[in-house]
Amino acid sequence: MAKKKVLGCSLNIIIILSIVFLVLIVVSFIGGSVGAIITGGEPLSIFAVQPPHPQLPAEHPFPNLPITNTMITAWISILVLFGLFFAATRRMKLVPRGLQNFVEFFYEAAANFIEDPAGKEYGRKFFPVCVTIFLFVLANAWINLIPGFETIKMNGEPLLRNANTDINVPLMLAVVSFCFVEYWGFKAHKATYLRKFFNFVPLGQGFKKLFTGKIKAGFGGIAMGIIAVFTGLLEAISELIRMVSFTFRLFGNMTAGMILTLVMIFLIPWVVPAIFYGLEAFLGFVQAMIFGGLTLCFLVVAVMSTDEETT
Amino acid sequence: MGLGLDLPTFIGQLVSFLILLGLLVYFGYKPIRKMLDERANRIKEGMEQAEAAKQEYEQAKVAVQEQIGKAREEGQGIITQATQIGDRLKEEARGEARKEAQALVERTRIELERERDKVIDDLRHEFVDTAILAAEKVINETLDKEGHRKLIEQAMEESTTFKEN
Repeated sequence: MAKKKVLGCSLNIIIILSIVFLVLIVVSFIGGSVGAIITGGEPLSIFAVQPPHPQLPAEHPFPNLPITNTMITAWISILVLFGLFFAATRRMKLVPRGLQNFVEFFYEAAANFIEDPAGKEYGRKFFPVCVTIFLFVLANAWINLIPGFETIKMNGEPLLRNANTDINVPLMLAVVSFCFVEYWGFKAHKATYLRKFFNFVPLGQGFKKLFTGKIKAGFGGIAMGIIAVFTGLLEAISELIRMVSFTFRLFGNMTAGMILTLVMIFLIPWVVPAIFYGLEAFLGFVQAMIFGGLTLCFLVVAVMSTDEETT
Repeated sequence: MGLGLDLPTFIGQLVSFLILLGLLVYFGYKPIRKMLDERANRIKEGMEQAEAAKQEYEQAKVAVQEQIGKAREEGQGIITQATQIGDRLKEEARGEARKEAQALVERTRIELERERDKVIDDLRHEFVDTAILAAEKVINETLDKEGHRKLIEQAMEESTTFKEN
């Protein structure tokens, strides 16, 4: 009692809480599936978590409809994002307050992030696609973290599932990103943009030199031309490979996070999964940032690249 | 257990995403961009106005200072002029007063002289008359009046005091 005065109340509370948490962890660990295996008995009913059996393709909660559970989640994300922006911009005031202020803060931060590498003019054009990708990935990842989200069952299948863990969604985002990159690249440089991938100009010059009699220079030119064509080919392949890397980065991270959380819930049902929820929240943000940021990065490269070559 | 690649799902997600993109552009980014631009413009305008007002104030301050200087100079001029005029007026007034006084003195002197002459003349007459009366009474009929007068006048001609006037 005398110590309480010296060290204050908060330490006592911390000690009590740690003890409670520790007891909860130990009890749930011993009482759960792992404890049951060790002792050879049945797990206590409240700890009897079903072992995870992750399945990569999205489930169909309604057998007669071609709607997957990831689609439903994507729609929820879309509704949430739309609701947020709609509510914030419904009655806008010159002096922002509350939700409008928050949304404007986010907008400014994102605009600064994008206009920093892309410049003011392109920044405004790139803004919608980059930010929408970011928000969509983030919303999908974070909605999934609502406790009990994946436990709602419909016809024996989970009704809701993180849309990022359905490979169709990352692939779709990668294709959208790719299309926008090529569109802006082509729009910025017109036909010369294609020369980045199909560069036959040095080869033609080499042949020209060969036929005009300069044999040595001609062969050198042809060699350089072949290298240029090969480089263009590599460039084209790398642009296509980007889509694959985009897809599997997001899909892999999100699926791994989902499985990790499920496994942790199975092993230690109480307290410990909360740590992984925090980790998943952070990871979701990082993945969204990477997807949006890389799209921005490729857009900037596509718009700038030939400028640098010609100057 | 494949990856779950599925064209209908892919297209469905693509459509969903494009709808989201459209919705956010029309209900989110555009109004926010407009609002931010408007606010930036407002602030810029306000600052420009403040700058203009400040410049105007500076200019006005200089102009006022200039005018005050000019007015002070003018005032100084007017005071100097007024002093000069006053001095002149004083001098003039003094001269006139002196002249007037002199004229007055002159007039008075002339008047006085005339008065004296008159008095002398009167006295002479009176004296003559009195002398005649006295002589009449004394001599009584020894001489006629005309003879008397001649005598006295003769006497007076001879006396030095009455001869000058």
